[in-house]
Amino acid sequence: MTALTSHLKLLEAESIHIFREAAAQFRTPVLLYSIGKDSTVLLHLARKAFWPAKLPFPLLHVDTTWKFREMIAFRDRIVAEMGLDLIVQTNHDAVAKNINPFDYPPSVYTDIMKTQALRKGLDDGGFDAAFGGARRDEEASRAKERVFSFRANGHTWDPRLQRPEMWQLLNGRLGKDETVRVFPMSNWTEADIWRYIMLEQLEVVPLYFAKERPTVERDGQLLMVDDDRIPMKPGEQPVMRKVRFRTLGCYPLTAAIESEAEDLDAVVTETLGAKVSERAGRLIDHDEVGAMEKKKREGYF
Amino acid sequence: MSVAALSETQAVESAIRPAAKSESILHLLTCGSVDDGKSTLIGRLLWDAAGVTDDQRAQIMHASHGRAMNGEKIDFSLLLDGLVAEREQGITIDIAWRYFETESRRYVIIDSPGHEQYTRNMATGASHADIAVLLVDARHGVKRQTRRHAAICNLVGIKKVILAVNKMDQIDWSEERYRAIEADFRAIADNFSFTDIASIPVAALTGANVVARSDEMPWYAGPTLLEYLETVEAKTEAQDAPFRMPVQLVLRGDNDFRGYAGTVTSGTVHVGDRVVDARSGLGATLQRIVTMTGDLTSASSGDAVTLLLDTDLDISRGAVLTETERRPTNADVLEARLVWLSEKPFDPEAGYLLRTATDLTPVTSMSVSTLIDFETLSSHQAHDCGMNDIADCRILLGRSTALDLFSDLPLTGNFVLVNALDGATVAGGVITWVQTGAAAVGDNVLVLDRARLASLCADLGDSPEDKAEYDRRAQEVAILLRSAGIPVLIATDR
Repeated sequence: MTALTSHLKLLEAESIHIFREAAAQFRTPVLLYSIGKDSTVLLHLARKAFWPAKLPFPLLHVDTTWKFREMIAFRDRIVAEMGLDLIVQTNHDAVAKNINPFDYPPSVYTDIMKTQALRKGLDDGGFDAAFGGARRDEEASRAKERVFSFRANGHTWDPRLQRPEMWQLLNGRLGKDETVRVFPMSNWTEADIWRYIMLEQLEVVPLYFAKERPTVERDGQLLMVDDDRIPMKPGEQPVMRKVRFRTLGCYPLTAAIESEAEDLDAVVTETLGAKVSERAGRLIDHDEVGAMEKKKREGYF
Repeated sequence: MSVAALSETQAVESAIRPAAKSESILHLLTCGSVDDGKSTLIGRLLWDAAGVTDDQRAQIMHASHGRAMNGEKIDFSLLLDGLVAEREQGITIDIAWRYFETESRRYVIIDSPGHEQYTRNMATGASHADIAVLLVDARHGVKRQTRRHAAICNLVGIKKVILAVNKMDQIDWSEERYRAIEADFRAIADNFSFTDIASIPVAALTGANVVARSDEMPWYAGPTLLEYLETVEAKTEAQDAPFRMPVQLVLRGDNDFRGYAGTVTSGTVHVGDRVVDARSGLGATLQRIVTMTGDLTSASSGDAVTLLLDTDLDISRGAVLTETERRPTNADVLEARLVWLSEKPFDPEAGYLLRTATDLTPVTSMSVSTLIDFETLSSHQAHDCGMNDIADCRILLGRSTALDLFSDLPLTGNFVLVNALDGATVAGGVITWVQTGAAAVGDNVLVLDRARLASLCADLGDSPEDKAEYDRRAQEVAILLRSAGIPVLIATDR
């Protein structure tokens, strides 16, 4: 038995309720798994919702081929240990054309490698609903999103036409060509995620904990040199710094923070005292004004 | 609280978070007419109560340069209005959810739009709130939209409201003007069943009486907005409420495991208790309460659990498990008060579905009896209703389902009305009256029974999955016929 606080128990029960509603109302759901801390909690909540039955849907991971190597190793181990059904979706055409995060602006790279691959993965699988780990506290346009977020043909989001969502009642009846993104963790905060990981003793990718790692500084942000695909400037050498990550994505687009927090306790303490929001380390969000909303309208998560 | 009194749970928690704090969460709605300053008020509350991170502060400071308001340097509304269209037009379109913690409690703030055309979004927000802050511009007083918002807050079950008379700086901090607006509002509130009504004069732009006390209004001795919120009690469930658990799913595992998964909506159930399926009246004894982290001995309101019974009741999604004594009504006719949310007005010929806790029931017929007039707040006879109206109506169902009255048990007494063809949520309502066996079969009603559906369902047998699939097909056929104007009843011949 775990010792969840009543606050976390409430959030957990709400998430389980949402998972069950979606599984009952949609024919072919899929869980979008991105390996990070939010996905770890999302997967754990999904297993709780259907236990002792098996997860009634597969996992879908959009692999840009630029993820941290430790993330992929972690993913493959978790999937094997838990006996999960995983679909990996990569935009192989774009990989063949060498679309990469160094030569292309973040918005172009993200659209091709993430948004397009995600749309293709959802279309190929014929999925009518996709679970995601997005939280309303992450970013201003996400703060506006419903739990059942309807997408028109082509996965586009129109924030002016969101379905009313009253009380605990979730209406999943689809119109023609509509699909749904389901966000069971809408009301969790970053601090809640860490408290929950700690109390439920969940394993997360080691990149969240501070360790000496090879880094370079670019535009005031620290990037980890995860492999030799990162081009070095003349005379530039990776510097060992004690760093960790608050969010995980593609390594060239995810900034590290210098930190001494080597274990969960320290990370939680640091997070609760943080003066900077977590998405500050996501380079793609700062590309242009309203960047996240634009990506969401086009079908990004 | 002494250290010795801390439970194990609290001890773990205090290791993570030093300040002892109430575990309750306060869900706070802000509403009022357009330009009354809702987003600014909440932005100011977050800003002053430290709910804003440094990089967000920098972003807001930067963005504010484009649209300084009233000579102020910072535009606090930018903290809430996260959509591009909202920032461009300077209005709130959809509700924004914000989370913050003070030393003493956690807050979920739901900022709702004031424009009449976005009332459906305000209703969405209100249904999730424990307490509402109704904003009024001190220069204009109570408006039609204020009355509509108060009526919606009341409809969705909010019991506590705070009248915040904003922009006091614009009327020279006049006590006389404030008292007049307060009296106006209290007269309106008499029409509703609010239990707590507070009233606070504020100026969101300057921050007066939001977090910090104002020097300009020495005549006001009451609490600031934050002081009031820090101490007000969140929504509490009635003691000794009857047990209800709407079944979401049937879960199957090894060794013929067959459990009913759902969230307890009211009351408590213990292992060994008798429980009843409200629709069939069949009973069983609760054998186990199963969760992934171990069995429980009891489950209460809010718990998401899986119940294992000693005999199979042969039920599926949509059933409500209840205690033996105080049961819901297995109803096929109901009266309700609803708020119409769709741009398409109510159409007596359209095909609608009633979505209750976990059931989806075809509507055979529906009629509107009265509408609320937002000038006088009185009801008058009507047969039509359109977007943003509050109406009383009568609904006949295509088959019976387990229902409570909203005033007794909100989570098994509320519903949304769904357009069967495009899936849109067209109204949200609360049940005020229910009855069994009233929907008599007339000559012009087509009864969908096993015989009529025999060839459509020829591939289905007697397994629980097949029975659920039979119900689903019967429902879809009923919807299609209904939307073609043919009244239908689904025979339940179990």
